[in-house]
Amino acid sequence: MNYNKFFEKANEVGLEALELSITKSKKFSFGLFKNEIDSYSISDSYRLSARGIYNGKLGYATSEKIDASTVDYIINHIKENATFNTSEDKPFIFPGSKKYNRKNVFSKKLANMSANEKINIVKKLDLAVKQKDQRINEVETQYQEETEEYILLNSFGLKLSSKQNYAVIYSSAVATDEQGETKNGFKVKILTDLEDLDIDEFASKVVKDTIAQFGSAPCKSGKYKCVFNPSSTSALLSFFLQNLSSEEVQKNTSLLKGKLNQQVCSKKLTINESPLEKNVFFRYFDDEGVATYNKTLIKNGVLQTYLYNLTTANKDGVETTGNGYKNGFGIGIRAVNVSIKPGKDSEEELFSKVKEGIYITDISGLHAGMNAQSGNFSLISQGFMIREGKLKEPVSLITVAGNLFDVFNGVVAVGSNKELQTNSYSVPSIYVKGIQVSGK
Amino acid sequence: MISKKLAVEVLNLATSTGADFAEIYLEENNSTSIGLDNGKVESCQDTLTYGAGIRLLKGLQSVYGYTNDISKKGLSKLALDLSASFSGERVVIVDSITKVRVGKKHRPRIEYSTYPREKIISMLTEASKTCLEYDPRIVRCKVSFSFNYKDVEIFNSNGKQFNEVHSRGRAYVIAVAAKEGAIETGGEGPGAQKGMEFFLEDIDLNQKARDAAKAALTMLDARECPSGKMPVIIGNGFGGVIFHEACGHSLEASSVSKGLSVFSGKKGTKIASSIVSAVDDGTIEGGWGSGNIDDEGNPTQRNLLIKDGILNSYLVDDFNGRRMGEKGNGATRRESYKYEPTSRMSNTFILPGKSTPEEIIASTKFGLYAKSMGGGSVNPATGEFNFAVNEGYIVEDGKISYPVKGATLIGSGKEVLLNIDMVGNDLLRAQGMCGAASGSIPADVGQPTIRVKEITVGGRGGAI
Repeated sequence: MNYNKFFEKANEVGLEALELSITKSKKFSFGLFKNEIDSYSISDSYRLSARGIYNGKLGYATSEKIDASTVDYIINHIKENATFNTSEDKPFIFPGSKKYNRKNVFSKKLANMSANEKINIVKKLDLAVKQKDQRINEVETQYQEETEEYILLNSFGLKLSSKQNYAVIYSSAVATDEQGETKNGFKVKILTDLEDLDIDEFASKVVKDTIAQFGSAPCKSGKYKCVFNPSSTSALLSFFLQNLSSEEVQKNTSLLKGKLNQQVCSKKLTINESPLEKNVFFRYFDDEGVATYNKTLIKNGVLQTYLYNLTTANKDGVETTGNGYKNGFGIGIRAVNVSIKPGKDSEEELFSKVKEGIYITDISGLHAGMNAQSGNFSLISQGFMIREGKLKEPVSLITVAGNLFDVFNGVVAVGSNKELQTNSYSVPSIYVKGIQVSGK
Repeated sequence: MISKKLAVEVLNLATSTGADFAEIYLEENNSTSIGLDNGKVESCQDTLTYGAGIRLLKGLQSVYGYTNDISKKGLSKLALDLSASFSGERVVIVDSITKVRVGKKHRPRIEYSTYPREKIISMLTEASKTCLEYDPRIVRCKVSFSFNYKDVEIFNSNGKQFNEVHSRGRAYVIAVAAKEGAIETGGEGPGAQKGMEFFLEDIDLNQKARDAAKAALTMLDARECPSGKMPVIIGNGFGGVIFHEACGHSLEASSVSKGLSVFSGKKGTKIASSIVSAVDDGTIEGGWGSGNIDDEGNPTQRNLLIKDGILNSYLVDDFNGRRMGEKGNGATRRESYKYEPTSRMSNTFILPGKSTPEEIIASTKFGLYAKSMGGGSVNPATGEFNFAVNEGYIVEDGKISYPVKGATLIGSGKEVLLNIDMVGNDLLRAQGMCGAASGSIPADVGQPTIRVKEITVGGRGGAI
């Protein structure tokens, strides 16, 4: 595709600046049921999104149809939509950062492996899950691979591109015991090389998590000391960090407004954002074309910075932090590759510190039971009782309720176990005091 | 979007290695979204979604692929790539394509593209103003509006062609209320598969803006909800989300056919209290989840899911129907050409009963009245769910006593259905987006006010 035509047309109709972002995506996926392929899918897609400034205002247009009409469609819609924009925020199309830390994160190994080899590996995993325990009656295993090429171009001559690929493997098991009780469990893993997959370990984890739930029941309601496993910690943290968005701060909807350089959570917590970490979530430029950099967000509980895009940084008279990423309505704010600095204690050591409490392994219903704005949540959870410093009977159908600020203030210890989650967070287990649990 | 001749060629290419069924789904979807923050238009965006998906079936195997390139070259390449996953003799051949007559219901009277955008924006600006001026404690108001016009064309190896049009519009108003250290939100999201007439004649967006502000303010002053097991009255309209999530999804052939649903093999048995009947009705005129045909080309239906507590019907797509020995019943849907279609809900709701909502409250000694529900989630294998209550009140001695916040309802779909002991006469439907394997699709939930004998309520206000 000749992108010059877009810039020529933009000039012709009087746009002051234009930015194109192009995503080319290839996907390959399959699913197994009863160890046979029951779904298989391939795709090749293209999407061109554009923003432009007309009379000092931004307009937007996106198209997946690439033909002779595309240039007119995009540029005319941008111009028209800009005329409806009444925002008082200064719009930015960015000429470019001085330096970019580009790294090659494309996995040739994954790209070169044949579909059959991939199917064989996943079939082995699926079978391993099924054979681990007689009580497993159904297993579903899915493989999804995506290759994405992303190009950002603008009328200042900026041209940035990246190419990434990864595979996600998901396996879930349904088990029924002698009493007819049904439980299910699953595990997801993101990989860039299938040779990194330890089939036995993965299968054991799926099965262990499923079987361990037999006989689970709600515990007594009350306040408990809790250990949140890495996936629950990352889920809670992602909502907590929404309060670092400068947009929320500027619009009075962040409870961390006015808290810069102040204690906002437990001293045990140091939280970093590392977009340049070489993994599948690596980003060396954000969606405005600004070079990203690694930074500390919270140091020993003290808030170090809010997160900015070009527009909100301009409002506060500071530099953007390179956190401008697209949302449904233009450029929003997001953090990539967030991590909590691990502590010294293994999970077992956390349990022995807790002595009497609950280990939370799963929290669900976040989009419903979490009020990101007030920080209040009430979430269905499951896990295990901790008695005398050891994991004991499983608990389910309990709700864990509290306030995010109280949770992160109440962190007593941080685990040494770190696990990359599907939301790009890499966090350990945390031990939190005084969590309200309702069960029976 | 493509000629019959090309469709025949592509279908025959797709079935050349033994697939017993092939289908081409083409889509051109023009959508517009407008976003306002505190009364200012922050963004106005047009998006053209365009492409084709090809599906091949062979027995209980399915193969799916999609592309934006719907030229002869693009579609042939995709068909060939997909056919490579089978290796067998041809079993079907397509000679010709016949266009099937499709109904013309659910069409917009005033098309969004012909209605001046300035007027839409002034309607949204006014709603923002109404919301922000409702009370000084309303600190922020977000309003958004989206509408689309989607052309769909389906060809399959049975020699059939179907054409369908969907045009929907939806507005959201989100009010944020704050007082020292506390922030609460309230929201309304009316939508329909109608044109601009829905916003001009059927609803008043200003009233919705006031409702959103009022809900946020009520919650600002609410006490924390106590926790424990108690009777729960679930309000009409969006309260039906519990039925949708905890029961509806478990009736979809995608999980039923594989024995993964709690309701697998339960047809003809009692799964709900005998005062409960429920339908999934894709035929409702202008309904948010309606259509003339589904995304396989089958005419939509009113499927009676539960009759007087007895499981009467599942929601079936042709592919999963193969496992069950059933034909599709007009319930196959997908977000776009990027998704392989499967059995989904359309407009799903509990049918009205005899009690008035006032009677239901008056006959409750102590309990929670969950007037407005938020979203929730459900574990499909076990039917366990949790849902947030957006606007809740404690009922004492048959009267609404005080508002509570932070409540969640926890239980299992199976038990709740059996424990419904009163069904109101005030059926109302509400709009939602339903996410599952075949993407995010518009779906109505609904119910009259109902009462459940006992549900576990989670909250931060201490045990009852």
